[in-house]
Amino acid sequence: MGIGAMTRGAGALVSLALSAGTIAHPAAACPTAEQGFRRLASPEAEIAYRWAPPALKAGQFFTAEVVTCRTRWGEAVHDIKIDAAMPAHGHGMNYRPSAVAIAPGHYRFTGLMLHMPGTWRITIDLLQGGRHTRLTHEVDLSP
Amino acid sequence: MKQRVLPSAVAALMLAGAAVLAAGPEQAVTFSADERAAILAHGPWPPPRHPDPSNRVSGNRDAISLGRRLFFDTRLSLDGRQSCATCHDPATAFADGKPRGIGRALVDRNAIALANLGLNRWFGWAGAADSLWAQSIHPIVDVKELGLTAEQLRDRLAAAPAIAAAYTHLFQAAVAHDAAERVLVNAAKALAAFQETIVTGRTPFDDFRDALERSDTRSMAHYPRPAQRGLAIFVGKGNCTACHFGPNFTSGEFEDVGVPHFAEQGRVDAGRHGGIAALRASPFNLLSPYSDNADKAAGVPTRHVEQQHRNWGEFRVPSLRNVARTAPYMHNGSLATLQDVVRHYSELNEERLHGHAGRRLLRPLRLTPQEAADLVAFLETLSGEISFGP
Ligand code: HEC
Ligand code: HEC
Ligand SMILES: [Cu+2]
Repeated sequence: MGIGAMTRGAGALVSLALSAGTIAHPAAACPTAEQGFRRLASPEAEIAYRWAPPALKAGQFFTAEVVTCRTRWGEAVHDIKIDAAMPAHGHGMNYRPSAVAIAPGHYRFTGLMLHMPGTWRITIDLLQGGRHTRLTHEVDLSP
Repeated sequence: MKQRVLPSAVAALMLAGAAVLAAGPEQAVTFSADERAAILAHGPWPPPRHPDPSNRVSGNRDAISLGRRLFFDTRLSLDGRQSCATCHDPATAFADGKPRGIGRALVDRNAIALANLGLNRWFGWAGAADSLWAQSIHPIVDVKELGLTAEQLRDRLAAAPAIAAAYTHLFQAAVAHDAAERVLVNAAKALAAFQETIVTGRTPFDDFRDALERSDTRSMAHYPRPAQRGLAIFVGKGNCTACHFGPNFTSGEFEDVGVPHFAEQGRVDAGRHGGIAALRASPFNLLSPYSDNADKAAGVPTRHVEQQHRNWGEFRVPSLRNVARTAPYMHNGSLATLQDVVRHYSELNEERLHGHAGRRLLRPLRLTPQEAADLVAFLETLSGEISFGP
């Protein structure tokens, strides 16, 4: 089972019903490292994210905050989805995270848990219009 | 884009490189930095204990006394012959030593040894309950176990003056006039308060782990060599820590290790798949009004758990603390000894690992007789004294 096939079942796809004014913010509005955020960028998009608690541990629930800093054509993001899987084992999470928009372009995900030590690939999907941008981040969890 | 997440103490040890244990050059057991990290993560023990936010009498002394009384009381069974202790006997580590529990009838699964329950996220082999009190309701009303109705329970408790008085004192209600379902929940919450006190003490492994953390080679040498070698297999090529990790030697989640799961001829035990269905259907789950956790933060796992096809035949990864005292093994008690369990992992029938995940995670270890004996020797060092209150 590929990552694509897995995420279809296990992701948190939320229709956030953002207002028309919710245009992605320019990079300048991006939260900084001092606020505990890290950046993730691709040619199409850039986000800032942080976890709580900040150090991920195998078997422990955490929440994620994601801020969209730059998006393709500056278009609004109307859906955002986070998921995680262990590519070497071919399984995803046991939980389906949920999201709330806490400010324009700023989301909080609850219900994330990586249940095994090893390498996890966390994927964040931004949906804008008909387009779909994926950012990925790998994390190695010790037991 | 890779991030290594390691506790800083462990990172410091990694800088020091792999450690060589004890003297005796011909048999020195060595651990890689990752193995050392995995070993240290099996402690410290005991872990901090917190009251259960979903149970307002958790940690309450009077609730613990009432719960203890109820746990051993045969009034809780229809024919007055069984109690919780029938299947969870303190003399056999709060299990029963039988492959499958026998109450009013034979049940499908092995009675789980009760200990360190405050560390559980899920209860039962399939995680059908999300709290200790919700799990404690099930055997009271299950026709195969104690077989009472909520009304019968209320009437019996009301007819026992000392219990009725303790109930009124704790829950500010007269048991005879309380709603039957409420009495069932409250009795289960008192039972939970008692069961939370059942804990296992320090083990030879814990002393070794702490000595390793201090790099105290002299103390480390007290830990028997076969156990050291077995530990190296456990955290090394055995890959046991993929599932049995942390202070309680479990992820607390569900996996399929290829144990056949026929409850009887022609009837399958659905494992976690059925557990999630039961959890969602339960009027007593952590999202219900019976939870005392007002903001329902304790219900995060229940709210987010996702039922997936691979959950068929998955069972909870059991803790390995005190495992040498809790034979027989596996959800159906199908393996009699630790030797049998190690042989199971050594010879693993890959045909039975229907889940893709299991197939990639587990492969037959093909241990030599010496390695198998060492792994058992290690598992035997996980026993500590059981204590319970009040
Ligand atoms: C007939 C035997 C039997 C009786 C009587 C019985 N149990 Fe159990 N108990 C079991 C079995 C079997 C399991 C595993 C159940 C499962 O996976 O569905 C279990 C599991 C549990 C667990 C889950 C432990 C864990 O780590 O997940 C708790 C708690 C528990 N029982 C408490 C009780 C209490 C409290 C009573 C009395 C009200 C009781 N039991 C009566 C057989 C019994
Ligand atoms: C993929 C996860 C996984 C791995 C890896 C794993 N286990 Fe397990 N273990 C489980 C599960 C799940 C069970 C219960 C299975 C069942 O009842 O069907 C279990 C059961 C056991 C039991 C029985 C405990 C009891 O109380 O019944 C022992 C002992 C054990 N494992 C030891 C080991 C050892 C030693 C290794 C490494 C060689 C290992 N396990 C590797 C998941 C795993
Ligand atoms: Cu995995």
